[in-house]
Amino acid sequence: MHRLHHALLLVALLVAAPCADAALLDFSAQERQQIVSLGPWPPRIAPDPSNRVSGDAEAIALGARLFFDARLSPSNRIACVTCHQPDRGWTDGLPRARGMEELERNTPSLANLRQRRWFGWGGGADSLWMASLRPLLDPREFASSAAAVAALYARDADLACRYRRAFGRAPAEERGGEESVLVNTAKALAAFQETLTSGRTPFDEFRDALASGEPAAAARYPLAAQRGLRLFIGRGNCVACHNGPLFSNGEFGDVGVPYFVAPGRVDSGRHDDLQRLRASPYNLLGRHGDDGGASATATRHAVLEPRHWGEFRVPSLRNVATTAPYMHNGSVPTLRDVVLHYSTLDESRIHSSAQPLLVALRLAPEEVDELVAFLETLTDAAGADRPRPPMPAPCDPPAAQLK
Amino acid sequence: MKTAAAVLAAALLTAPATACEPPLAGPGVQRIDGSGHVVAWRAPQPVPLAQFFTLEFAACARSGDRIEAPRVEATMPQHGHGMNYRPTVESLGGGRFRAGGLLLHMPGRWQLSFTVGGETLRAVLTVD
Repeated sequence: MHRLHHALLLVALLVAAPCADAALLDFSAQERQQIVSLGPWPPRIAPDPSNRVSGDAEAIALGARLFFDARLSPSNRIACVTCHQPDRGWTDGLPRARGMEELERNTPSLANLRQRRWFGWGGGADSLWMASLRPLLDPREFASSAAAVAALYARDADLACRYRRAFGRAPAEERGGEESVLVNTAKALAAFQETLTSGRTPFDEFRDALASGEPAAAARYPLAAQRGLRLFIGRGNCVACHNGPLFSNGEFGDVGVPYFVAPGRVDSGRHDDLQRLRASPYNLLGRHGDDGGASATATRHAVLEPRHWGEFRVPSLRNVATTAPYMHNGSVPTLRDVVLHYSTLDESRIHSSAQPLLVALRLAPEEVDELVAFLETLTDAAGADRPRPPMPAPCDPPAAQLK
Repeated sequence: MKTAAAVLAAALLTAPATACEPPLAGPGVQRIDGSGHVVAWRAPQPVPLAQFFTLEFAACARSGDRIEAPRVEATMPQHGHGMNYRPTVESLGGGRFRAGGLLLHMPGRWQLSFTVGGETLRAVLTVD
């Protein structure tokens, strides 16, 4: 009898074995199409046409050096890495960024920046090099100036050598003077940051298996994550904004996070930042871009409307589990709290003249767990602890410089 | 007899209406017939989500008037918002145009509006 029981169990296992896809939810054709649209990853990345040193190895090496160099701030206290730390997913773990003083917004991660259309929570920059330049001049962040940046090269032969290799002339020989040195410094910083990409994730394996019709491979993806994904593309409607391979439409939204930064003071997000962008001499329509404004489609066509008041950029969700705290002001401590925010959303807080896009999801506790489980599968193998890029070897001056 | 003459007169009077044929044809071209204008348009298939795209269209007036400064817009009536971008329209000559700077940032049903000669003609554009 005991032997018979074992035999029956064995038969049951053998019958069940080919059905490994039993652990695969019965995603509809429409759901599969939506899931497939969240990839493939990694995407092909082209150099930034507005930055002539985008993708250039010499500029990347200069940018890497500068990124970790606190001498970029006249106080010698602030470097890019002060807020964008590789072992914290290129953020700082703080609710609000801290430069020369505390700022009003959370430090965004630096991964996958090349695919972005707008930079900063309010889209105050339309290129990565402009986004790299702005904090240098902000008195609350680096509190630097074009003159201070140019002076750094004057007292560091290695940096000056790297600059010459990247841009073809010494900083002191720039026809545009200190301002050109500042802009080129930002372009080198951008060239380095473009190399900071995130890798493949368990979700990408699942997505690809689904796309290529491999149910057994797809079934390796945890069921809780599959259920969370179903919520993400279905009842949760997260995919309305968090879509495409980057899990962001690259645009702006008001998700009911308070925008008061102090009593009587607000951060209007996109509304003010678009105006600042338009007024800046460093936007893509200005003379500092390297493609004559050809890549300024978004800047040229962007409209400013009252509805943009209180809107903030939809962040990418790749590696989202490694970049707490969340939201533009860092007011939401954990990923679970983010999901709970959407579950218990104060709908009266969202301004809408028609059917609101955001409604309180009123998730059951297990659904909260499942959504979190799904979001955690958007983390690549390196996770929060990104390897610090190796510093380039000392720069050999070009032969022409030695003559 | 009188009735037949009236029908013939009406047909002759409305003859220019049938002559209004926007100069755009081929696969994927859709047509909107308005009271005073006709628009034919073609969008990329599929319409890209959250990416800029251009749209070709042609328009004609039943009155025979020349089409001047047409406008293109896209809105999501269900949610009461439009695009975050204002398209520009470039004339290609002969009643043909190209609209650039369109970006539909959410999946769903968008309403595409062509304003020509004071008349707005609408079509639905679905983005997955």
